[in-house]
Amino acid sequence: MELLAQVLVGGVLLGGLYALMALGLALVWGVLNIVNLSHGALIMLGAYATYYLFTGTGLDPFAALPITAIVLFVIGWLIQRGILNLVIRGPMFNTLLITFGIEVILTYLAQLLFSADFRAINPPYAGNNFRVLGITIPLMQVLAFAIAIGLTVAMWLFLLHTRVGRGIRAASQNLVAARLYGVNPRSIYALTFGIGSALAGVAGGLYGTVSQINPYIGGPLTAKSFAIAIIGGLENPLGVIVGGLVLGIVESLTALYAGSTYRDVASFGVLILVLILRPTGLLGRTT
Amino acid sequence: MADALLETRALTAGYGEMQVLRDISLAVQPAEIVAIVGSNGAGKTTLLRAISRLIPCGGEVTFDGKSVSHATADEVFGSGLVQVPEGRQLFDRMSVEENLRMGAYRRGDRRAIDDDLDRMYTLFPRLSDRRRQLAGSMSGGEQQMCAMARALMARPRLMMVDEMSLGLAPVIVDQLLETMTAIRKEGVTVLLVEQDVHAALSVADRGYVMETGEIVREGSARELESDPEVQRAYLGEV
Ligand SMILES: Nc1ncnc2c1ncn2[C@@H]1O[C@H](COP(=O)(O)OP(=O)(O)OP(=O)(O)O)[C@@H](O)[C@H]1O
Ligand SMILES: [Mg+2]
Repeated sequence: MELLAQVLVGGVLLGGLYALMALGLALVWGVLNIVNLSHGALIMLGAYATYYLFTGTGLDPFAALPITAIVLFVIGWLIQRGILNLVIRGPMFNTLLITFGIEVILTYLAQLLFSADFRAINPPYAGNNFRVLGITIPLMQVLAFAIAIGLTVAMWLFLLHTRVGRGIRAASQNLVAARLYGVNPRSIYALTFGIGSALAGVAGGLYGTVSQINPYIGGPLTAKSFAIAIIGGLENPLGVIVGGLVLGIVESLTALYAGSTYRDVASFGVLILVLILRPTGLLGRTT
Repeated sequence: MADALLETRALTAGYGEMQVLRDISLAVQPAEIVAIVGSNGAGKTTLLRAISRLIPCGGEVTFDGKSVSHATADEVFGSGLVQVPEGRQLFDRMSVEENLRMGAYRRGDRRAIDDDLDRMYTLFPRLSDRRRQLAGSMSGGEQQMCAMARALMARPRLMMVDEMSLGLAPVIVDQLLETMTAIRKEGVTVLLVEQDVHAALSVADRGYVMETGEIVREGSARELESDPEVQRAYLGEV
């Protein structure tokens, strides 16, 4: 019983991080109508950015996250302005192929620059944990969870209550009307993709504090983000919290009952199930 | 006619290979209400799309003495040339109030925006009760009011209204037309595209008649109303 509680808590904590991972993908999908297959690679880059800021400058990894966010924002902005903008009006198949290509290139570059070795972000307090009701809770996981959920909620408030957030939602709901009312699609798209990448970057930095990283973590994380975005829907950023928690708990339970090698099998099982049961999630935005 | 607010010269536009507008030249003077009438498919909506730069076009468009032929849609909007598009095109999953705030997207003067919101709720009391309602869930008439209010929130110098009366009860149409004359008194120029020729000409100063992408007639509203051709084709009189 205690073990189950322990595992559930672990699942929830992981789920919060998953929510942040998916947030950027869902945002970009909803606004630009692009399923960004390089999203996981951007998470991976964020993890390395945080890792090198930590090991290179001694900066606390959590304090390094704003810098990671800025770096990834710029990378995302450039990818959108330089590449995706050229195919934005094309069919979804084209943008899928192009973002897949970007994923391959980023992964290859990462392998070249950072080597294929496993790395971990281990500040001195990394081993700390505390016990609540007989459950051991690692400090790093709690911090990652809190930052991820906090950032997701902040993003939700930003979209809901600021002028620019309203412009982003306007562009996703009715592009023609948005253009007629002063929204410049080019800049709103670049901004949105930049924000999506920055969110991916921060999620990557947090991932690096609770898990090991290497250049190949991107692919599976893209797929998980995709599943979460479909479960949660694209309209409300808080939806990804639901999706993230579902996936986090399912994975943790699978690890408990079937063994941790089945973790990813479980999350892809969820993805396939969702695609079968909620195909409308996919077709939510085809106009 | 030297200082027209809006002027098009030899404007052409279309969709892909298909040319819809050929050689449209018209002028709208400050504080005028000008109607554009014509049968279905004449190209009226296309004309407004071209002026708003939603679609590429040839020829010249000047607004307030400056060429906007190479501007983008958001720049045209920023210069005060605001369109209430056909089919309203509200942000369906935003509240009424958010839709109105989108009208003020290019404005930074928070205090004045709040004042203007209040003005809109006075002008359209039915919107006032529905501030938090999602725009997509309102009736057609309410949506049209919301669309007009959204445009007015931009403090337009010229408002182009496309097919305002479509699907609305005559009472509501009359109400909206009254609003139109009221805002003209405040110095807003109006370009009105209408199926309901009678309604349009009843408030307009001048009008243009479009047929298959060309302007075939122009004149004062009075002249057009009594023009035998116009009567036969659009006013259903023999
Ligand atoms: N998006 C589009 N793509 C291709 N052709 C179009 C498009 N929109 C309109 N057309 C065509 O352009 C022509 C003019 O259409 P437009 O909508 O401008 O007419 P209209 O005068 O506004 O008609 P209505 O009174 O029915 O609104 C029509 O033949 C129409 O089929
Ligand atoms: Mg039309």
